[in-house]
Amino acid sequence: MPAMNFSTFLMQIADALRKEKGPELAYLLRPMEEHGKSLIKEFRNPTRQSLSYYEGSMESPWDEIAIQYVLVVNHCAKRRAIEAFKEECTLISLFFRYFTTKTGWTLPALFSILRDLRDLAFDADLEARQRGQEGTENMEEAARVISKAFTNCVTDRMSPKAESRKWGVYYVVGLILKSYFRVKRISLAKNILRAIDANPDIPPLDQYPRSHQVTYRYYIGMLSFLNEDLAKSEQELTLAFYHCHIGAKTNLERILTYLIPLRIFRGHLPSRELLDRFPAIDDLYSPFITAIRRGDVHDYDAALDRFERRLVDLNLFLTMERGRELCVRELFRRVWVVSGKGTRVMVSSFHTALQLAGEDVSVEEAECLVANMIYKGYIRGYISHGQQTVVLAAANTFPKLADRPSPYAVL
Amino acid sequence: MSAAASSSSSASAKVAEPLKEDESQPALGVLEEDDEFEEFAVADWDDSQTNLAHLEGTAPGSAKSKGDKLWEDNWDDDDIEDDFSVQLRQELTKKGGEPMQH
Repeated sequence: MPAMNFSTFLMQIADALRKEKGPELAYLLRPMEEHGKSLIKEFRNPTRQSLSYYEGSMESPWDEIAIQYVLVVNHCAKRRAIEAFKEECTLISLFFRYFTTKTGWTLPALFSILRDLRDLAFDADLEARQRGQEGTENMEEAARVISKAFTNCVTDRMSPKAESRKWGVYYVVGLILKSYFRVKRISLAKNILRAIDANPDIPPLDQYPRSHQVTYRYYIGMLSFLNEDLAKSEQELTLAFYHCHIGAKTNLERILTYLIPLRIFRGHLPSRELLDRFPAIDDLYSPFITAIRRGDVHDYDAALDRFERRLVDLNLFLTMERGRELCVRELFRRVWVVSGKGTRVMVSSFHTALQLAGEDVSVEEAECLVANMIYKGYIRGYISHGQQTVVLAAANTFPKLADRPSPYAVL
Repeated sequence: MSAAASSSSSASAKVAEPLKEDESQPALGVLEEDDEFEEFAVADWDDSQTNLAHLEGTAPGSAKSKGDKLWEDNWDDDDIEDDFSVQLRQELTKKGGEPMQH
């Protein structure tokens, strides 16, 4: 793009507005583009005051937005992230004045400035930290500004449905959730989710572009996971996975990182075909999956040990630790198979198997473990303590994991 | 505006705490970074560009027995002849306390 001066910039904005070119408008407002750099060469030390000359040079609020843009770009060029962030906030509140009077063609511009806002907030928090101020004040402020954008999308009652600003709802919510996750304030997400529920005239999620759906479902899946609503998490992440673009590998990987443990609990193991497509996932989960298939408690524990730090970082350690019972189930199932699938197996046989697997437990502990597995529904039967015998159901002795009615019940 | 340049990913790469690498922790690529769900390059796409193609007509959430070859739900193998099971069989027979029913 050739060098641009301020009046050309104004003309291009006016042109984008007149022709309702959303993506064009988005481009013009991005602070990192070449035209921004060339724009600020025109002004030595631009301030709102020195630029006030241009007020009224085009329809309000675009004269002020253009001025704000110059201020943002200038602060960015001078590496003043906190100031850049503040001016971007002002730019966006001016933009809202325009946005709320228009239809959905303006959404690309909204999305773009909100993304820039988040990026600037991130840099601003970084800069504050370098100055010794801990905290995430700027990102939290960004989330508040983006929440206003949410309201401004939801309250569109004028536009025809196809051109409604409501089509911006889920993208904007995705950005808010990203911001909360970034600053680890996920409890704040409740408010925005409540607001969605309170607005039944928001179109159904599956009518939105897939990028909006997948991002939203990913974050709902993550929120549910962290709130230990694992059934809901599995549902949302499954849909996120299946609707995600196959080329978006890192996003798919992110989804699978949480989806795989949840599917394993349901008795659904990822196939070789799936794992081969995601080597990082394969490295992490294959040792666990192999151990579960073989009932190799020892290997499972070794994998837990080996991956502990990573799993803790990912908030997955407790989940994978619970997954150990699937491994114990298979070990006990093998005892039963090897013993000829009868309806009576001595407690001592389970004890022998545990010992063989490297578990140094007493007979009493082995009995207790069997009792637990019966209680949790992995085995159908009861223990005759006096006879030291496990009496097993003749049919469906070890119910298929995939058939368990509530695999996520916290026990 | 390269430094203030606001790509979250480049910025976070710089500030991320240096990972203390030890040999036993395998590299997990993307999963290590304190990064977030990425923006998609395009806004919308159709079924052919998703994993829905693997479902072969079933609903997301099912597994192989219902047609989804990405997930296996039937892996309880009764024909177990690996070393551990062979050893287990020997041990249980040796102890002899077990009524073997065939």
